[in-house]
Amino acid sequence: MSGAALAQPFGVTRGASSYDVGGFAGWILAKQAEFYRMLSGLIRAAKADGSAAYTLLGISFLYGVFHAAGPGHGKAVISSYLVANDETWRRGIFLSFASAMLQAFMAIAIVGIAAALLGATAKAMGDTVRVIEIVSYALIMLIGLRLFWVKGRAFLRLLRGEKPAHHVHDHNHNHHHHHTHGGAHHYNHAHSHHHEHEDEASAWGHTHAPEPQELTGRHWLRRGLAAIVAVGLRPCSGAIIVLVFALAQGLFWVGVASTFVMGLGTTITVAAIATLAVGARGLAGRLALAKPGAGILLMRGLETAAALVIVLFGAALLTGYMVSERLMG
Amino acid sequence: MIASVRILVAVLTLVLAGIANAHPHVWVTMHTDLVYAPDGRITGIRHAWSFDDMFSTFATQGLESKEKGKFTREELAPLAKVNVESLKEYDYFTYATADGAKVELTDPAPGYWLDYADQVLTLNFTLPFKTPVKAKELKIEIYDPTIFVDFSFAKQNPAQLVGAPKCKLNVQLPREMTFAESKRLSEIPADQKNTTMAWGAQFSNKLVVHCP
Repeated sequence: MSGAALAQPFGVTRGASSYDVGGFAGWILAKQAEFYRMLSGLIRAAKADGSAAYTLLGISFLYGVFHAAGPGHGKAVISSYLVANDETWRRGIFLSFASAMLQAFMAIAIVGIAAALLGATAKAMGDTVRVIEIVSYALIMLIGLRLFWVKGRAFLRLLRGEKPAHHVHDHNHNHHHHHTHGGAHHYNHAHSHHHEHEDEASAWGHTHAPEPQELTGRHWLRRGLAAIVAVGLRPCSGAIIVLVFALAQGLFWVGVASTFVMGLGTTITVAAIATLAVGARGLAGRLALAKPGAGILLMRGLETAAALVIVLFGAALLTGYMVSERLMG
Repeated sequence: MIASVRILVAVLTLVLAGIANAHPHVWVTMHTDLVYAPDGRITGIRHAWSFDDMFSTFATQGLESKEKGKFTREELAPLAKVNVESLKEYDYFTYATADGAKVELTDPAPGYWLDYADQVLTLNFTLPFKTPVKAKELKIEIYDPTIFVDFSFAKQNPAQLVGAPKCKLNVQLPREMTFAESKRLSEIPADQKNTTMAWGAQFSNKLVVHCP
């Protein structure tokens, strides 16, 4: 639910326009605009009548659902990350949830500290968000580059005809992970675990390497943490505006609740899309079974492509930022 | 195999294409005066842009004021300056043509200001024509080519001519976007400016003035 940069035309913030457009995309655009515009009225209403707060939460949820279907790089980065790393859909849902909650938390922290405590101006908040934005985008790029390096090498090795079974593991690992993989290991963390290899099928029933520490469920989480932070760090401009508005009405906590519920709505959409991506990857993996050799190559290529998508995203976001900053003066 | 790749590509495209579409965080309700000189040439475009209540509250957050919840023009002067200076990058979202030829506007004259009433900020500024022009058909379009700001004319008194008794003003509202257009629009990343597709022009609020 990252809206547009908190900067721009009026030197304060920027969104996009809602037009009464046709088509699915137009419908989403129109709906989120509609829900967003209802928020201010509902916050005002909640001041007089507490029960309006429930309606506000309902609309906040819907806004989150529709908003995430529209803008935001979050779902693209998460989806690509899941595809590149061959994560499960359950993990995808968790990543979606965690990043949406972090995003909500960031918006609340910024408005709570900057506006409520320090009395900062919109411009100061916008500047803060822009710094966070750079960190977030750079992190996305780093994650992408890291994955691209790992997956790309595996892909190249395959292309050169080295047997996948003899790979150095090309897992997006943490450094401490090394010692667990001797050269003798025939594990290949990056490949699709949909049993393309009969000889590996038993060892790879689970989507990720069943290393002891991974079976505890901690390992992938550490790996996913970077993705959660990269995606969730940058707060949504819409949430910030809603929070400031609620603060001005003396209903900051109503704004906080609304922001978290928006995050839940966002989770639904991002998780659905992430699940779709994981499913697509799984489908490709099963189809790749038909041609074992080329299938592995295809999957490795797919992972490399997904990693590249993350890199390109990070780069586009970063340069997009640069442009808007330069023009902002 | 080829088919499976196609399916996969299609799904991934769907996932990645969905990234797009920023959504409105700023709504502007406009009133626009077209100011003419006695010789019948238009000299400037006088805008009064009212922002929606949430954005107005957001924009005034943290600004100092003597009376809580109220802001004087003087107190809002620094914000007005930021607004107007930031709008320069966007050509003030205002585009003029005289008998089909593009006409240049200059930066706002000094003396622009912000008002705050009923929790709504209104930005008042005049865009002078670089060279005042006389035209049989003058078109003024107000839109955000990146479709980030939602502009709409006020329902009552959207625009008027000042000092052009013989001319006739026609206010045209944006037309609806087609499915194909909204789809392409949805493919523009949210965080990027839509510079190649000047969609906004097709959905602009247009003022057309016919003079004898």
